[in-house]
Amino acid sequence: MTDLHDFSRRGFIGAAGAGLAATALPNLALAQAKDSLVMAWAVDPPTWDPIIRTNPGIQSIYKMVFDQPVTQSPDLKVIPAVVKAWKVSDDGKTVDLEFRDDVLWHDGKKMTAADFRYTYFERKEKGHKSDLASVFRNLTDVKVESDTKCTMILSQPMPTVIQWMAFLANFIVPKHYMEEVGPEKFAEKPIGTGPYKLISYERNSRIVLEAFDKYWGPKPTIKKITILIMKDPSARVAAIQSGQADWVPEVPIREVERLGKVAGLKAEILPITRVVLLQIRSDRAFADQNVRLAAHHAIDKVALSRALYGGKAVPLSVVATPGTPGFVEGFTFPYDPKKAQELLAKSGFSPEKPVQVGMASFNGVFPGDYDLARAIAQMWKRVGIEAKIEVIEQPKYFELNRGNQLPEATLYSWDNATGDPEMFAGYLLNPKLPFSAWKDPKVGDRIVKLFSVVNYEERIKGYKEANVFAAQEGAVMPLLQSVMTFVYKSGLKTVNYGNGWNLPQYWSWS
Amino acid sequence: MSGGIFGVALRRIGVSLPLIFLVSVLVFVVLRLIPSDPIAMSVPPNATRDEIEALRKEMGLTLPIYEQFGIWFGKVISGEFGRSIAFAQPVARLIGQSLPATIELVLLAAIFATIIGLSGGLLMYRLSGGRGEAATDFASTLIMSIPEFLWAIFFILLFGVALNILPFTGRLDANITVDKITGFLLIDTLIQGRFGAFGNALAHMLLPAMALAFGTAPLLMRVLRSSLMEVGNEDYMTMARLRGFPERQILVRHAFKNAFLPTLNLMGVQFSFLFGGTLLVEVIYSYPGLGSLMVQAVANTDLPVIQGVSLVYAVAVLLINLGVDLVALILNPKLRIAK
Repeated sequence: MTDLHDFSRRGFIGAAGAGLAATALPNLALAQAKDSLVMAWAVDPPTWDPIIRTNPGIQSIYKMVFDQPVTQSPDLKVIPAVVKAWKVSDDGKTVDLEFRDDVLWHDGKKMTAADFRYTYFERKEKGHKSDLASVFRNLTDVKVESDTKCTMILSQPMPTVIQWMAFLANFIVPKHYMEEVGPEKFAEKPIGTGPYKLISYERNSRIVLEAFDKYWGPKPTIKKITILIMKDPSARVAAIQSGQADWVPEVPIREVERLGKVAGLKAEILPITRVVLLQIRSDRAFADQNVRLAAHHAIDKVALSRALYGGKAVPLSVVATPGTPGFVEGFTFPYDPKKAQELLAKSGFSPEKPVQVGMASFNGVFPGDYDLARAIAQMWKRVGIEAKIEVIEQPKYFELNRGNQLPEATLYSWDNATGDPEMFAGYLLNPKLPFSAWKDPKVGDRIVKLFSVVNYEERIKGYKEANVFAAQEGAVMPLLQSVMTFVYKSGLKTVNYGNGWNLPQYWSWS
Repeated sequence: MSGGIFGVALRRIGVSLPLIFLVSVLVFVVLRLIPSDPIAMSVPPNATRDEIEALRKEMGLTLPIYEQFGIWFGKVISGEFGRSIAFAQPVARLIGQSLPATIELVLLAAIFATIIGLSGGLLMYRLSGGRGEAATDFASTLIMSIPEFLWAIFFILLFGVALNILPFTGRLDANITVDKITGFLLIDTLIQGRFGAFGNALAHMLLPAMALAFGTAPLLMRVLRSSLMEVGNEDYMTMARLRGFPERQILVRHAFKNAFLPTLNLMGVQFSFLFGGTLLVEVIYSYPGLGSLMVQAVANTDLPVIQGVSLVYAVAVLLINLGVDLVALILNPKLRIAK
């Protein structure tokens, strides 16, 4: 059926023939309607079944279509979502949940506690492979008491059970629809309870969403969203400059500074709950604590932030970002190259007789990664540490870590939207988990114990102490709180989240 | 040995099958020798080492390489390409979603490359020996020395940003959606009578297709010019000139027909390279084709997808070369006669 709306000037010229001259007419960017938005995004959802993969890059997109049991406020406090109240037992093995009774799926049916049970328990029992099932491996049942109440039964305490419900892969899916069509068909045409419905999706190209008029929460002002998947940063820059996109993220820092001066555009550099750090081995050249501590004292984090992040990346001394529970106010691991040299001298090293270490780094995985590695290597060289940098890809990082073959130091970036210290130091320093390069039990055992502490205040106190201890032991070298960059049209009013979530359901055009 | 077109086609297919097998063995083995862990990239952050090992075992990654290959190839023969680790979807479906976009793009790029290459070659021959020769030589060298991904970025900056006359992301404007019938957007829009959408889709293909064509056309220009210069001094050419035919007519009706065959053979090789060229160009233009899928799969070390797409590339290259060989046979009857 012919769609007259398609007979735009550009479309007619394109149809007139293959001659290039015929298409060389002004390409007017469509005047942006006040209730629609075009966003560029650097990551494509691997699947529209939101519980399959824990991928931080697509959390915001999933939150447009699906709801999590609980969510976070812009300052990262856990707040009710479709779960309006919860109670964790003192032993941490049962969690009572109470749901809202006004939540509808995009097909109009009501969401109930049975959907929660299906998502978190029944799919696992049916053998549906998902990252959510792995996260909740200790969930033995979900007892549904009514449409709005249920109780989770855990075989072991899970101190971060509520925090996880606002984290990766924790989205409720519809039991009735998924049982009708199966998980594969669901992923092709998903429905959720979120503020937007998925209208169309083309892999590696674009996502089109429309506002759901029966959404239980605040109705979005922006009614239609088009997300263009643009993995190349220069293409994203070109898109915002040419007006083909209204909002683009992850723009190189230098471009942010330039684009911020362009009339009609706004540029932001926002510190988020992402830590850039050096993961440390407990053996080889770093078996010597003097060498480890010297390496940490030799790093001028303020200079790194100024040089590579426009001064916006906050220097860190613990594996936690400011404003999060595990952050330790007042504790600083100082930049002190003189002390670094003294420590190295105790172990017989100096700039003339340097200690040899290996450092692994990505190149292009997170902003400024390779430049950071080179800058750190230079700082180390001045005090007597000779670092050989090896550029690795992410798959190789996992392989090396698995085989305990990482070099002495590995430059890494760690995202944690919850801000909870278990997801920071807990995962990075627990020798039983795959991300920890540090194997020594002195720090590792402290962290492992905290995984069973249910009392929140006690757990946070434990992590704060462990964070300081880890830094003082030289078990980890936190460097900077990373930043997220955005450039957008100046008429757009956005809401910044401390964890880097970008939720256009709360945005508007002024 | 008889040399009919059909016989040649059969012989080519017969040779292609072991080649495809060899390519799949090579890709399979190389991927498994690379130090990378595709499983660890696709599990949650609190997955234990035991869970990761159990998953590796479940996916057969702990078996000997020859056993893994046997299982995989046996499934491929029955049409089962396996399941993507990162996307948790059948590989065949992912390829089916992406392949039409790449085929469309490559076809358009091939048309552009042919037009630019042949007309450029004819022009270079016409101007050879004169003042224009240096200019055409310079132009073809310049185009050839810049890689296609750099042309891709130049075109975005020039046509997309500075002049703002052409789109440079995706296959359609944000406000246009088209029902999918074949997956080939140009065909689907015509079937549905959406001529505006057809033009829009074509506009979106122009820049990536031109970038790809610029990587291919200069070589075609140079080879055609050399071939024309070779046939230019043939007796029949001299005779045609003596008979007073216009130079343009001699060039097109006599010289070009005979000089075209080497260029045709080169086109087969170059057009098969076009498929490989889509990897970077599709990522730069956010074009949802096989190239984008492959880049994503490589970044995730998604072995089943990499294997499946590599197989598709190998088949595409062999089919293109087969097609070109058959065209050569049709155009040149001498090739059909047995030696």
